[in-house]
Amino acid sequence: MSITKLDQMFDILRTKKKKRLVGAYTVDGHSLGAISKAIDLGIVDATLIGNIDLIKATCEEEKIDINKFEIIDEKVVTVAAQKACLYIREGKGDLIMKGLLGTDIYMHALLNKESGLVPQGAMLSHVTVMEIPNFDKLLVVSDVAIIPLPDLKQKIEITNNVIKTCKALNIELPKIAILASSESATDKIPANADAAIITKMAERGQIKGALVDGPLSLDLSIDKEAVAIKNFKSPVAGDADGIVFPNIESGNVFYKTVTKLVKGELAANVCGASCPAILSSRSDSEQTKLYSIALAALLAK
Amino acid sequence: MITTLDQMVEQVKGLNKKFKVAVAYAQDANTIEAIAQAINEGFIEAIMIGDADKITAVAQEAKINPNIFQIIDVKDEVAAIQKAVEMVRNGEADILMKGLCGTDKFLRGVIDKEKGLLPPKATMTYVCALEIPKYHKLLFVTDTAVLPFPDLKQKTAMLNYSVAMARRFGIETPKVALISAAEKVSPHFESHSDYAQLCMMAKRGQIKNCIVDGPLDIFLACDKESVAIKGVPTPIDGDADVLLFPSLEACNSFYKGQMLWAGAELAGLIQGTIKPVVVMSRSESHKSKYYCIALSCLMV
Repeated sequence: MSITKLDQMFDILRTKKKKRLVGAYTVDGHSLGAISKAIDLGIVDATLIGNIDLIKATCEEEKIDINKFEIIDEKVVTVAAQKACLYIREGKGDLIMKGLLGTDIYMHALLNKESGLVPQGAMLSHVTVMEIPNFDKLLVVSDVAIIPLPDLKQKIEITNNVIKTCKALNIELPKIAILASSESATDKIPANADAAIITKMAERGQIKGALVDGPLSLDLSIDKEAVAIKNFKSPVAGDADGIVFPNIESGNVFYKTVTKLVKGELAANVCGASCPAILSSRSDSEQTKLYSIALAALLAK
Repeated sequence: MITTLDQMVEQVKGLNKKFKVAVAYAQDANTIEAIAQAINEGFIEAIMIGDADKITAVAQEAKINPNIFQIIDVKDEVAAIQKAVEMVRNGEADILMKGLCGTDKFLRGVIDKEKGLLPPKATMTYVCALEIPKYHKLLFVTDTAVLPFPDLKQKTAMLNYSVAMARRFGIETPKVALISAAEKVSPHFESHSDYAQLCMMAKRGQIKNCIVDGPLDIFLACDKESVAIKGVPTPIDGDADVLLFPSLEACNSFYKGQMLWAGAELAGLIQGTIKPVVVMSRSESHKSKYYCIALSCLMV
């Protein structure tokens, strides 16, 4: 059964082998609160790499039992990030989480050729799972945060990562919409042109495990009524599980509109590294961080 | 449904009409012979424009009575082309056909913006109906002769013209295969991007009345056994009516190979013009020339 609420990720995780989270300088209240809850829910164990004094102080302030963590004291932020990666490389952890450090430092550590987690030639992309109040299932969207203007090759990779994420949510045969402003085939608009190519590749089995259609407009992707009115025939339209956006602006505006105006909740993950990587923003809520931990744990090998 | 070129001729004869063919610079033995045969079989009338003395002489040499033609004496090559084009444009003739004049000069007359036969912004291309002994029906191929490297807009026009032609042959929903070397989509082939757009256009109803798939190789397009062996699901299913090629060189080599080694015959026509235009290569067989004339009648 595919799941329709983010909370249901916890149920799946309880049936699986527990994964170990490695926290890269996770010393702040939101991060520790989320990790603590994840541990309490029984979905992960955690090793925290960071300034032990700060971790202690935060735990006291937030009334978190510090004994539920394994802690490795490292006061230098960049070194903590690097050590977290090495920890994963040595097989001592299954997923990595960003704490109170700049995105650039975290990504730098992930991408480091010697000590990082990104295989040569691999491409990182960002996947977000959204729970939207008036939509009856989860929606997996990408890329809202990492790749500004994906080319065809990158869009194919993004599509594959969206499919992979859908599968982790127990969606057996996900329906993926390749988004554009309209459903027309044309080579005048790059988003439409690429979408047709990706759709054809899926038809030929070069992209596997999903029903793919595009170009599709947003309404045709998720609104059954629009599909009915237009009498539009598509295996995906009106019922998309995943949406691949043509560029970061459209994706980013979509997810922020959903979270800010419709009060949607989300889980996010970076795909393409040798393990799931959580890249939540420092301003993300504890709940978002908890969901992201659960998503990463679902995606971990 | 017409499955051979002889059936096509029968269909034209069955129309019980005499189509008027204007031949530009007509003093060419091959052309005169093909025209005479069509006249004798009763489905055309011909207006031969060119050097009247030469036309008469060439006809007599081929033992053809020149009185079966209407002859208009215009000695200059370009003037003869212009006269022929004008007659078709005015409706005095239904079909334009090239005689002894150079192809370049002839086509310049056809595409002339003020006095020609090509509507503004129309794509001119070439579609051939091939009869290949080993294939179970006619195969329409494009473009054998006009567009060296068609872009998407041109490919779209090629596809639409081929479909329209196939439908004249009674094929209600022609199967169009977009030809490449293999069926996998590769960004390294420029044509594959266009093919994906064409497939999507058909899916979205921007192209109508046909089934489109590609990239496909010739085997998957025309051989059911290959489809079964390769296990590639395609609605064309080895039963293509139309083959659209990525370049003129590919299409031209394909049809010439069929003519040379497979005993194929053809009927071909310029597409995009307001009236049918027959341009035949000198190396084509007498029979093919006769088929071209019949095809032009079918397409009027």
